Amino acid sequence: MIMHKKTLQKRLANALVFCLLAVLAVSFLYPVYFMAINAFKTKAEYRATPFALPSQLRLDNFNLLIGNFKILDSYWNTLQIALGSVALTITLAVFASYGFAKLPFKGRGAVYVAVVATMFIPAQVTMIPLYYLMSHLRVTNKLISVVLAYTATSLPGSILLMTTGFRGISDEMIEAATIDGAGYFAVVKNVILPMGVAVIAINIIFNFLSASNDLFTPMILLQKIDKRTIMVALSAIMSSRSADPAYQIAGLLLSALPSLAVYMLFNRFIVKGITVGSIK
Amino acid sequence: MQGWLSVLPALLVVLGIRGYPLAFGLLKSFTNWSGIGAGDYIGLANYIHIVTGSEFWVLLRNNLVILTFIPIQIFVGLLVAVLLYEEVFGWRFFRVVFYIPQIISSLVMGYLFTVFFSYSGPVNQILNNVGLGFLAREWFGSAGSAMAIILFCLVWINIGWQAMLGLGGLAAVSPSVFEAAQIDGAGFWRRFFSITLPMLGRTIEYSCIVSVIWVFTGIFPYIFAMTKGGPGYDTTTLDYMIYLKSFGAVSKPGYACALAMILLVIVMVFTVIQMRLSNRANDWGQ
Repeated sequence: MIMHKKTLQKRLANALVFCLLAVLAVSFLYPVYFMAINAFKTKAEYRATPFALPSQLRLDNFNLLIGNFKILDSYWNTLQIALGSVALTITLAVFASYGFAKLPFKGRGAVYVAVVATMFIPAQVTMIPLYYLMSHLRVTNKLISVVLAYTATSLPGSILLMTTGFRGISDEMIEAATIDGAGYFAVVKNVILPMGVAVIAINIIFNFLSASNDLFTPMILLQKIDKRTIMVALSAIMSSRSADPAYQIAGLLLSALPSLAVYMLFNRFIVKGITVGSIK
Repeated sequence: MQGWLSVLPALLVVLGIRGYPLAFGLLKSFTNWSGIGAGDYIGLANYIHIVTGSEFWVLLRNNLVILTFIPIQIFVGLLVAVLLYEEVFGWRFFRVVFYIPQIISSLVMGYLFTVFFSYSGPVNQILNNVGLGFLAREWFGSAGSAMAIILFCLVWINIGWQAMLGLGGLAAVSPSVFEAAQIDGAGFWRRFFSITLPMLGRTIEYSCIVSVIWVFTGIFPYIFAMTKGGPGYDTTTLDYMIYLKSFGAVSKPGYACALAMILLVIVMVFTVIQMRLSNRANDWGQ
C-alpha cells in the first residue's frame, strides 16, 4: 500500500515537472511559430488577427524581399563570409593547436597565453582602429575585411579548445607515424585530423553560427548595399519598414531560418559542445 | 622550430588584427583624433573628460542595473536544470528547445521583443482584449519599462544556456546525495537550496563571471534592436556608447578610444577575478 502511494506520488511529481517544462518549451517555440504564421499575412491581416493562422498563404512579403530587397544577395554574402572565415580559422587553428599541444619550443607557454588572452578583448574595443586599418588597406566594403576580422576574433577560442583536445592524442601514435616516415603535414593529416575530428567539428559549427549571426562587424566594415550581410539587411528592414510589420516579420523569419536549420542538423554536436563549456 | 612555424601564421593574424588595433587605439585615446589625420596629443584629457562628465556614470549605472538579471537567470536556469535532471518524458527534446534563443541571432531575438512589445503589437492587444487595457503602453517609451523588458529578455534567452551548464554540474554530483536527502524527508525547495545550489558552487561561479563579462561586451545587438539606447541615454550601455561615439552622428573617435580602453580595463578586471577564482582555462574542453 505504501509502495503504491509512493509510485503514485512519484508519477504526479513527474507529470508536474513535465507540464512545467512543456510550458517553458512553448514559450521558446511560440516566437518561431508566430514568425511563421505572420510572414504570410498582409499588414492589415496581421494588425487584425496576429494570433490566427493566415487566411491564405500569401507569398507577397517573400516576393518583395527576394525581388526588390535582393535578400538572396545578402544570404550569398553571409555564406561567403561565414565559410571563408571558418575555413581560415580552422586551418590556422589546427596547425597552431598542434604546435601548442605537441611540439615543444622555447616560449611556447607564454605565446599560448598571449594568443588565448586576446579572446577577452571585446570587438567594440578594437573596432575603430580596425576600421581605419581596413580602410588603409583599401578593403572596407570588401567581404575579405570581415573574413579577416572574424578569423582573428575566433582564433583564440578555437585554439583553446583544440589545443586541449589535441593534448589527449597519444604521443605514441605521432611517434609511430614519424618512424614510418611521415613528415609534418602527413602527421597532421593522418593523426591529428582523424583523432581531433570531434573538437574540430564543434568549432566549425560554432564559428559558422557566430559568423552568420553577427551584426556589429559587417555593419561597420561593409556599408555598401550590395555587400551587406543578412543581419545588416535585417536591421535595414526593421528601421525603414516599421509601417509594415508583416513584411518585417517575414524578414525576421528569413534571418532566423539558416541558424535554425544548422541547429536541427547538428543539435547533438551543439549540445555536446555547450556541455564542454566556454561557449557564449 | 617546427613548433614555432606551426603557430606563426595564427600568431601573425592575431597580432595584426587584434594586437595592432589595440595598440593604435590606446595611442589615439591620448589624442583629440577626429578620424582624419593623426590628432594632437592631449594627455589624459579624454579620460578626465569621461570620468568627470555625468554621461559615463549614467552608462555605468545602466550596465550595473542590467547586471541584476544574472541572479534571476541563475536561479531560473538551475531550477530548470533540476527539472531536466529528473529525466521525465521528453527531457532531451526540451533540452534542445530551451537552447533555441542562443542559436538564433541575438539581433533577431531583440527585434522579436520589439515586435511583441510595440504599441500596436501582440502584448498590448492581449492586454486590451482581457480587460487590462490600462496596462497597455509604449513599452520602450519610458526608462523603467524599457529596462524591465531588456532584463526579462536577457533572462529568458539565457535560461537554456544556464540550464545546460547546470546539467553539466549536476552530472558530476553523485545521485546518492540527492537520494539520501529525499529519504531524510527533505522537501523540494529544501533540497534545492541546501543541497543542489551548494553542490553547483563552481557552476554558479563560472556562470556569474561569464555573464558579467557578457553584460559589458555581448548585449550590443539587444540594445541596438530594442531601444537604441533610449529613451535619452537611459538604456545606453558602455559598449553601445563606444559605437555611438565612433560611428554615430556625434562621432568623436579619440574620445571613443578612451572609452574603449576603460571598457577593456573593466573586462580585464573581471577576467582576472575569474582566473583567480578558478583555474578554469585548464578545465575547458575536457
